[in-house]
Amino acid sequence: MLFLGIDIGSAVSKCVITDETEAIRGKGLSPGGAGTGGPQAAVAMALADAGAAAGDIAATVATGYGRNLAAAADSTMSELSCHAAGAVKLYPGVRTVIDIGGQDAKVLSITPAGKLDSFIMNDKCAAGTGRFLEEMSRVLAVPIDEMADVAGRAAHELQISSTCVVFAETEVISRMAEGAAVGDVLAGIFAAIAARVGALAKRKGVVPEVVMTGGVAKNEGMRRALERELGTPIHVDPLAQYAGALGAALFASQSGL
Amino acid sequence: MSEKKVSDRQRIEELLGIFSGIAASPKSQLDMYTGLGKKAVGVFPYYAPEELVHAAGFIPLGIWGASGTVREAGRYFPAFYCTIARMGLELALTGVLDRLSAVVMPTLCDTLRPLSQNFKAARPDIPMLFLAQPQNRKTYYGKDYYVSELMRVKGELEALAGKKITDEALYESVQVYNESRAERRRFVQLAAAHASLVSTQARSAALKSAYFTEKREHQTLLKELNDLLAAQPAENPRDYTRVVTSGILADGGNLLKIFDEQSIRVAADDVAHESRSFRVDVPESLAAEAPMYALAEAFAQQTDDSLLWEADLSHRQQHLIDLVLDSGARGVVFLMMQFCDPEELDYPSLKAALDTMDIPSIQIGYDQQMTDFGQAETQLMTFKEIIG
Ligand code: SF4
Repeated sequence: MLFLGIDIGSAVSKCVITDETEAIRGKGLSPGGAGTGGPQAAVAMALADAGAAAGDIAATVATGYGRNLAAAADSTMSELSCHAAGAVKLYPGVRTVIDIGGQDAKVLSITPAGKLDSFIMNDKCAAGTGRFLEEMSRVLAVPIDEMADVAGRAAHELQISSTCVVFAETEVISRMAEGAAVGDVLAGIFAAIAARVGALAKRKGVVPEVVMTGGVAKNEGMRRALERELGTPIHVDPLAQYAGALGAALFASQSGL
Repeated sequence: MSEKKVSDRQRIEELLGIFSGIAASPKSQLDMYTGLGKKAVGVFPYYAPEELVHAAGFIPLGIWGASGTVREAGRYFPAFYCTIARMGLELALTGVLDRLSAVVMPTLCDTLRPLSQNFKAARPDIPMLFLAQPQNRKTYYGKDYYVSELMRVKGELEALAGKKITDEALYESVQVYNESRAERRRFVQLAAAHASLVSTQARSAALKSAYFTEKREHQTLLKELNDLLAAQPAENPRDYTRVVTSGILADGGNLLKIFDEQSIRVAADDVAHESRSFRVDVPESLAAEAPMYALAEAFAQQTDDSLLWEADLSHRQQHLIDLVLDSGARGVVFLMMQFCDPEELDYPSLKAALDTMDIPSIQIGYDQQMTDFGQAETQLMTFKEIIG
């Protein structure tokens, strides 16, 4: 019996298929979030990966901002519950999950028994989110995937005082105009986002083990900056971006079907 | 179900529909009253004794901002003022308040002082009756001071009405308002007990409509509703997720829609626009002798509120905990008005007190300009998944 979790984010759709032993049998990821063809493409990829057909799916749970648009879902769950469940599955000792998505950042506290206990989300503001990184990637003409490497070569970290996307863009442009190295500016950008997300995490309370999920978790520069900010190691699973979808698939399998 | 039961339920729906209609269109209420030749006076937050306005023969109408976008008021306020102030002024600048004979503007919060002066500058044609309330309200000198302020406002109302406010008229208004307050308190209990019949949105509308309706009229309708609800069979309290709401306002339709979609009901509230406004009655025996002192006494007795100074917050913390325990709520939803200093200052200690009692809580930021409720929906949905 197979179970499908669909995580429809603001910019990317992710799917995970699990079986009754909670093992991952397939996954799919497609650009395009709520209101696009992204979710269908991600489902098709996951089915192909699992070597399964739509009819093999016993239950589907949708999560993410576009969860209500997933017509095929049997039920919906919040992405916070799903990210928590997914993170616990990927890293059983986790007590704090930091999830930085395309449009918001969340910090989740997990009980020793692996249950979501409480959470905090950033205000509606692009600072400290994936959007901030995207904007900076555009301004500096450094592809997101290469940001960490470029920042890793920084001679020193420039101070970017503003974490507001609009003001930071102006600040970054004037630093570049002054002749600053791209790597130094990028290191400053990572530190600025880490300070913002770190403040959110400290408000919630950071209990190790700390795990990062969401699309931004893939960014090694961001992870390192956040580790420095919080003074604790942060684990990132290769499937970090799928944590929400994995949690949704696990909820689908627990739904009694 | 018997025919009587069916018709009772229909009447409950009808009454809730009437309240929703009123709550959704305060401007129509103002137009209706003035069309009937009555005069209306706007009453801004917080806790001005509407009884005085009522006793002068005016229809008091509560002005707690409105959902919408701040445009004109942007000339007077920077963006980091709460929308209660900015939208209140916006209403004045866009003609919504044109038919008011005056406004009463209390000053319990620092944001309301500049609002009063901006209002005066923006709409010099609408008399603004400034009411300075003392934070030291329990002392004899605090009460004396408040009575002197009330006397001044009383004189200004009398000049506008062209008649004296007699002690008898004021006593009568006190009785009308005490009855209304008691009926609203009863409704809060009954709405929680009959969650399948009174949605969170309907509950809010029934309470909000009291601000736009002459209190005797509202009282008649609400009493009918309460009597019908009281006669309905008891419900299982576990059918809905019950919470206590806390904040300044909890009336945004789109916000409350999420509560209803998630089957979340308000078991009790600590909201300034709701229960905090009608928790305390004016002592009637004192009102019969010295009604102005009775109004000051009632204000002195108000407590457990971010707007009202207390030497220590433990009483307010305990009050919130008791609300949760007594109502059987499973947690607290703080609806945090953006840029509201008084609420933000109290929040950490309230949250800490709830934490020590293992009472789950969540804070949702909002304001009256909000149009995207996606984040609020995610927060409420997750909160419900946690508290069950
Ligand atoms: S108490 Fe808060 S919401 Fe009310 S006027 Fe003051 S700042 Fe605004």
